[in-house]
Amino acid sequence: MHGAKHSLGIILFPAFDWSISPTHPEREERLLYTQDQLKEEGLFDIEGVDEHKPGVAGREDVERAHFCFPEVESVATRSHLVAAGGTITAADLVMTGRHKRAFALVRPPGHHAMKVVQGSRGFCNINTEAVMIEHLREKYGVKRIAVVDTDCHHGDGTQDIYWHDPDVLFISLHQDGRTLYPGSGFPTECGGPGALGRTVNIPLPPGTGDEGYLAVMERIVLPILKDFAPEIVVNSAGQDNHFTDPITNMNLTAQGYARMTELLKPDIAVLEGGYAIQGALPYVNLGIALSLAGLDYTGVREPAFDAVKHRQRPDLADYIDRLCDTIPNVYFHPPTEHKDGFVTRQETGEWFVRHKNIYYDTDDITEAQTEELFLCGSCRGLLKIVSRTTKNPACLGIEVPIGACDACRSLGYSIYEEAQVKEGYRFAQFINRRDKEYQRHGF
Amino acid sequence: MYLGIDVGGTHTDAVALDETGIKAQVKVKTDQSDLLASVNQALREILRTVKPDGVLQLNLSTTLSTNAIVQGTTEDVGMLVIPGPGISAHEFMLCRDYHVLPGAIDHRGTETDRLDEAKARAAIDACRASGVRVFGCVGKFSTRNPLHENTLRQSLGPSGGQGPDYVTLGHELGGRLNFPRRLATAYFNCAVWRVFNAFADAVEKSLAELGLGHVRVNTLKADGGTFPLSQARRMPVQSIFSGPAASVMGIIALCDITRDSVILDIGGTTTDIAVFVDGQPLVENDGINIGSHPTLVRALKVRSIGIGGDSAINVLGEAVRVGPNRLGPSLADSVPAGAALPAGARPTLIDALNVTGACAHGNVEASRAGLAEFAARHSIKPDMLAGQAVAAAAEAIYASTQELLAEINDKPVYTIHELLEGRRVAPGRVYLMGGPAAAMKEAVRQRFELFTVVPEHFGVANAIGAALTRNTASLELFADTEKGVMFIPALRHRENVPRTYSLKDAERDAMNHMLAHLSEMGVFADRDNAQVTHASSFNMVDEGRTTGKNIRVKCQIKPGVAFTLNGQPAVPPGGRVAGHSLKLATGQLADKAGERG
Repeated sequence: MHGAKHSLGIILFPAFDWSISPTHPEREERLLYTQDQLKEEGLFDIEGVDEHKPGVAGREDVERAHFCFPEVESVATRSHLVAAGGTITAADLVMTGRHKRAFALVRPPGHHAMKVVQGSRGFCNINTEAVMIEHLREKYGVKRIAVVDTDCHHGDGTQDIYWHDPDVLFISLHQDGRTLYPGSGFPTECGGPGALGRTVNIPLPPGTGDEGYLAVMERIVLPILKDFAPEIVVNSAGQDNHFTDPITNMNLTAQGYARMTELLKPDIAVLEGGYAIQGALPYVNLGIALSLAGLDYTGVREPAFDAVKHRQRPDLADYIDRLCDTIPNVYFHPPTEHKDGFVTRQETGEWFVRHKNIYYDTDDITEAQTEELFLCGSCRGLLKIVSRTTKNPACLGIEVPIGACDACRSLGYSIYEEAQVKEGYRFAQFINRRDKEYQRHGF
Repeated sequence: MYLGIDVGGTHTDAVALDETGIKAQVKVKTDQSDLLASVNQALREILRTVKPDGVLQLNLSTTLSTNAIVQGTTEDVGMLVIPGPGISAHEFMLCRDYHVLPGAIDHRGTETDRLDEAKARAAIDACRASGVRVFGCVGKFSTRNPLHENTLRQSLGPSGGQGPDYVTLGHELGGRLNFPRRLATAYFNCAVWRVFNAFADAVEKSLAELGLGHVRVNTLKADGGTFPLSQARRMPVQSIFSGPAASVMGIIALCDITRDSVILDIGGTTTDIAVFVDGQPLVENDGINIGSHPTLVRALKVRSIGIGGDSAINVLGEAVRVGPNRLGPSLADSVPAGAALPAGARPTLIDALNVTGACAHGNVEASRAGLAEFAARHSIKPDMLAGQAVAAAAEAIYASTQELLAEINDKPVYTIHELLEGRRVAPGRVYLMGGPAAAMKEAVRQRFELFTVVPEHFGVANAIGAALTRNTASLELFADTEKGVMFIPALRHRENVPRTYSLKDAERDAMNHMLAHLSEMGVFADRDNAQVTHASSFNMVDEGRTTGKNIRVKCQIKPGVAFTLNGQPAVPPGGRVAGHSLKLATGQLADKAGERG
């Protein structure tokens, strides 16, 4: 057996004792056959390919990415913390040079989890990629990171977390939001006032196959990545674009996935969705793993594959062609005006304000959120979020970002102190990334 | 009376013992070109003090299969391989007569592509034409459904005459998943089949001649257990690398180990390092490598490094090192008393130990003279060289032990429970055995900074281990209630089960089949040491409906010794997988998590 061309660390955490409900797509059985396939293929005996134990994410690992209300432990189970810990392990393997690349094959997934977490939406509680990215920054000082989300659903959680962050480029390829959950991810969604063009959405028509995905990869994603020149490329490797997936309508094959991975060359891949657990996942995961390791994947073929039946409809090519022509403009020529909120003048200065209504479909919670970003002009700006849900009264989250200026830092402290005195909030969380201070109030 | 023989690379050790202690022990040089002669010599020596009538059992650990592979005296094997989709089977081409056939079984045991029987027949004919007499038939996921392997077996025709002399079917090697390992294991099993059977015939003949025809003969396996010779004839690959296991079992018989410990067996050429957790030896999670090929052969977790009593001392610049090359026996052993040193004599670790005064082995004067001469050549004082050599050996052993511990502590585990229960292995004691054990004790103690024990009989602990090792067995059961099938690959047992078949049923069936199988082989079926090591049941769901259960059970007879010689009551020591007690990973736990989500 040839050794791996790129050494690859795989973190397999199938969470065999966790499910949303016994017959839910996100259930114990989900990675069972994938695990069987990888074992039977002898993947971990290949020189340069190793399996590693996932770590467990701590409270502060999560709080660097999220405001969790009432607290981390109440929105994330042990399985969520291990899944997130698995991505941290993946990051460590790559950053310490133990492996060139890493694949966190973990569940539960995370890319629908937004900055504020009050429960589960889209089967996600905490955003595993975001926890990992904040770990990369905190521990290794990585600055520029690109996340390419190839899950069939729009990665609205990751988009929300990095909306105002010009150093994290978020690109999502997904089935058009007009036809699939969560119903967002249009090209006009392109980032907050300080990060316009650093969120790129590519909605693809139902039925898109290998041809379309690879065209988008070559003509949109790769040129943008080349320009952005990230230090680390993360792939949110959802596998629900597969032609057999029960809850989506795309036509991607295991070969297509492997080829897409080969083009993208991610440093770290993290599993997201993918619910054709018998007919697709074992083969897609094998294809991605082999491709990441630089090994021959041409023999990976799912039993249901039919070259004629699973070809992309010819009429889709023109539509995708037009996307390839226009979407790069989102990054290269972003709009100068933001459309998702408004600027208010307060005594402290100018604030950018967004109102959001968020529905947690998995837990049936409705949230009303006011997000305010202090437009200080010298740093990313202090972030203040007020969140109310059908479950919790008003909660406050304040984040002093990495590299915050003195003004934002002291403003953050004064708002937090004022909130404690006035007792207007049931729970409050204060995250000071500059001084690594994490405080909670209201328990 | 129990006999144990361990045919090692340098020495063949034999003991005869019963509950009251050791009755006879011998150490003879191993004749690598004629292992049978070494076995016979050891037996004859033993029989000088022990009467044949009183002997009940002989346990034999040999390097025969290993040697056949290393020396390339194995025979050509016809490999019929059905890989299905995935990594190309040409990556694992093990031999000349290697035929990849179309056909596929998936992870659930569903046939997703039919076996091309015409191509199979052509492949068989091609093998026959090139004189191949033994065959391995291996399919991917054959442990879930052996259909294609069984079809190939039929195509090969009955054994003997025109048919094959021997056939290994992949699923007979057990239910574990790993197609490349299954391939390699089947290949090696076939490759050593003839040479092992010839040896077994010869041993049985010798025993009859020595008046030991009535004795039960077992063969040691690398997993710290034995199996009857009749069984070893079918699965000779399991007898490979049993030496280190004999040593580990020896220390169990001699010492009462209750905590995390390091076991060092310092031999002539190598030192075997094993780690005990809570007094139990660790087992390799997958299986050992034969050459560069990973296999399914279960083994105790033992790391061998090239440092032993006969390892040559090297000086490289300022650094003094020992091993890994072995340049013949030590001067203390090879130079007759009063004789002059041969030109360019190379001292070994034993010679250094003689000079530091840690032991007085053989011709101490030769050691001194040789070391003085070698030291002069490198402008070092002899005492200093000897001291540094011993320290370097201890350092190398220590470094390898630390590496092994790091590897153990980095094991992947699957369920949350195992993860939470996972604890770091931190040895508190070192047990030393093998020829130079007593001499190395002080150096090892200083380097490890741990309480260090050298048991009585440390020189023949391996043979004691061989003599007292019990039978072990293990099997995997796989059931799919949607398909209504239960399958135990190792026993080639497949039966229909009702949709109501449960994890409990599967555990009971796995146990009963294992014990029944042992009884059939004439082995005492030891229910007390039988345990289920893995049991999981997953609900299978299709379109929102539960369609059945996917059940996996593994059980084993724990490795252990028949009795101990340490004055303590025989506590059954169990081999355990590195990691921790295996918890059920069933859907039942899930409901709790679901409530929170």
